[in-house]
Amino acid sequence: MSTVLILTPVIISNLPAIAAAVAGAAAAMGLVAKESVKGQVQQAQQQLAEVEQAVSVELADSEVLAQGVETGREFVLTKGEVELRVSRDERGRCVVCAKGKGHTKAELKQMAEEFTQKMTQCFVYNRVASELKNKGFQIVNEEVMEDESVRINVRRWVD
Amino acid sequence: MAQHEVEITIDRSGEVKVHVKGAKGKACLEYAKWLTEIVGKVKSQELTSEYYEPEVKSRIELREELKSEE
Repeated sequence: MSTVLILTPVIISNLPAIAAAVAGAAAAMGLVAKESVKGQVQQAQQQLAEVEQAVSVELADSEVLAQGVETGREFVLTKGEVELRVSRDERGRCVVCAKGKGHTKAELKQMAEEFTQKMTQCFVYNRVASELKNKGFQIVNEEVMEDESVRINVRRWVD
Repeated sequence: MAQHEVEITIDRSGEVKVHVKGAKGKACLEYAKWLTEIVGKVKSQELTSEYYEPEVKSRIELREELKSEE
């Protein structure tokens, strides 16, 4: 052994990389993804505002770069009666908002937090896998553990 | 040729545990720095005994110097 390092992820990226993470997390959690413009969402939100609960969760260390991101663009994901919206707030941070009928705020908050965690995991996986490939590492083994963590073993020969 | 191995575990919240094996000294720190730049911030780091072992390249250079002195 030589070193063991624990790293906390910071998500600073442009929309395509965020979109890939959103898609990965959605697939893992059985959510159906569709893109939407903010105007449509706001209209739907107004219609349902009186009967639905809504909760927003912000990714603490996240920054979506403005480059290439259209104003008001966001991702809308659905599963049953629950809708999750992933967007970029005024400060550039990534925000996940959960809303839906028949769920308490605590349940919606838990769903939003689970999604942000899964999205972060997908983002980190995509980034690490890409950089390992660029660095010339060969993936020896890759597995999903019982606790849902992903373990990647890589090898590289150097002079 | 030396073999460098890295075990990367990404937990369900996205926190990453990196275990660098086979790389010693400076090479080990270079991997740590590189992966930190990719992922984010260092929460903790532990250097193990192998870190303090000399790199293979250094040993070869030392032998060559001894021969030249003779």
